[in-house]
Amino acid sequence: MVSPELAFESLLNGLLIGGIYAVAALGLSLVFGIMDVVNLAHGHMLMAGAYVGILLFAATGITPLVGMLLAAGVLFAFGVFLQRVLLERVVDEGIEQPIIVLFGLALVLQSVARIVLGSEPQRASIGIPGSSIPVGPAVLSFSRVVTFGVSVTLIVGVWAFLRYTTTGLAIRATAQNTDAAQYMGIDTGRIYIITLGLGTALAGAAGALLSILFPFTPYAGWSYLLKAFAVVVLGGVGSVIGTLVGGLVLGVSENVGVLFVGGGYRDLISFSIFLAVLLVRPQGLFGTSGGEE
Amino acid sequence: MAESERGSFVRALLSDRRRVAISIGAVLAFAAVPFVTERWLAQVFFRVLIFVILGVSWDLIGGYAGQISLGHAAFFGFGAYVSAWLTTPTRAGFSESVQSPVIVALIGGALAAGLLALAIGPAIFRLTGHYFAIGTLALAAIIERVLSNERGISGGSSGYFVNSSYDHELLFLLTLAITVATVLVSYYVVTSSWGLAMRAIHDDEAAASSLGINPLKYKLIAFGISSAMAGMAGGLYAQYTLYLNPADVLGIEWMVEALVVVVLGGMGTVTGPVLGAGLFVGLDQLLSEVASGYSTAIEGLLIILFMIYMPKGLYGVISDRVGEPSGGDPPSGSVPTPDETASD
Repeated sequence: MVSPELAFESLLNGLLIGGIYAVAALGLSLVFGIMDVVNLAHGHMLMAGAYVGILLFAATGITPLVGMLLAAGVLFAFGVFLQRVLLERVVDEGIEQPIIVLFGLALVLQSVARIVLGSEPQRASIGIPGSSIPVGPAVLSFSRVVTFGVSVTLIVGVWAFLRYTTTGLAIRATAQNTDAAQYMGIDTGRIYIITLGLGTALAGAAGALLSILFPFTPYAGWSYLLKAFAVVVLGGVGSVIGTLVGGLVLGVSENVGVLFVGGGYRDLISFSIFLAVLLVRPQGLFGTSGGEE
Repeated sequence: MAESERGSFVRALLSDRRRVAISIGAVLAFAAVPFVTERWLAQVFFRVLIFVILGVSWDLIGGYAGQISLGHAAFFGFGAYVSAWLTTPTRAGFSESVQSPVIVALIGGALAAGLLALAIGPAIFRLTGHYFAIGTLALAAIIERVLSNERGISGGSSGYFVNSSYDHELLFLLTLAITVATVLVSYYVVTSSWGLAMRAIHDDEAAASSLGINPLKYKLIAFGISSAMAGMAGGLYAQYTLYLNPADVLGIEWMVEALVVVVLGGMGTVTGPVLGAGLFVGLDQLLSEVASGYSTAIEGLLIILFMIYMPKGLYGVISDRVGEPSGGDPPSGSVPTPDETASD
């Protein structure tokens, strides 16, 4: 029997982790919504971001929260490179070529990480000993609260960027109708580059945040890809607020579900939710299809 | 209808005598392998055969029917485990009475994988395009997690040792026979009206549907046959290597390798995966000599480069070069008009 205190604590922890899931999913969701490309390498980019944070922390002791900015920067550059060198060539060729190219890229990232860094789990520690925050009967770890705050800030930032800047407007226009956006003088090629850069930067940021809380291996990519995609279908493609809600729902379901089925099945909970939602309501629980909030 | 279909199949098969001669020669050469080479080399050729089956199997659903499945490893692994349970039931806690001969276990593995595909097909085919690809990836991950966690039936990370009553020569010959059968079945399917329907769905599902083709039916046929073939490959692998491990047979590696085989050889052709399997295993063997550890990275890179620069694969390059006559491989690109299909 699960005690109410434990359930309450799991619920709160689930909400906190859900914020990072939302960041992880937002990049995937934007790229899917705007470019109509499922970035199969998204989870591996997240893993790459995690390792940037971990290595930076190990080498310099710099706080992973600053490392996160660097991870986001590195991954932004990688996204721009990826769009210009690879995806631009295949993106108009139907879905097979982009999806298989990105599958190949995921493999390359995974095996390069394994060769360079080995298969042992690694994590960055935010390094504030003994700091925990009591909330009613529950005790929350300080680092989870901080990473949640950073996550929500990132999401609000992206939302404001899309809502209030000219580039954001151009991105939303491209998402709604690429051809029409082109007629209005928007350089959609450039928008795609920015979008993929932003999407992979968010993956990098999410990875660095997760590396504070959980150990990483080079094989983590697929699992996080599926979790991020689960959030996307929960929240609706291209919806920023929906993604946040989806992330929280997934985080809570996982954390509370584990109490009932055991830790070995943690990933299984999110994968099953994902498949179930996908099959029942492909446009997402909260989503309309496409478009921005 | 069935008669004329079969007639055209045989005609298509025999239309290129050079190809038939090469194929027979290759099969005979393979049949000699376990008797004239050392065990490790036979194992290399065994892998070629397994990859031919896997490649041809993936190509049926991916290359012909156009449904990019990323869950193929699950059917391979499921078939492997079912066949292991059938020849070695007590290790998983099953009753000794289900213990079966190898051939029955192989068929059991293939049937189980095919039935699993048919059972989840109606649900998973509600998804199209990207959603189908990612949905099958999730499905494979679920099957992998369940089997890895249920240590009692999978052996967990310490693995599952398989008792087989066949020696490796016999199993090699059986694998060869099954490989030939797989290629022939696949050839039959894609030259039949089923194959035409699959290609029509690949090119434009809505248009195919408006011509009276039931997309779900043909996707299910392709998925069922394809998964049964993958399950058969898994079973053969289990009986040959005599050892299974969830991380090994259910991991994404088999999916990767099946895809490499198809992309290297040429999607949407029957000959492509056969060429691709040979090339891939050769390459893999070479790479493990000179660049061991980097082979997955190089495989990923090959997928990317081929998809960008040679999307038709090796078969496409060869047939462009030789100017392959129309009697060759059934093309995946153009779909004949309904009149043409009706008159055949």
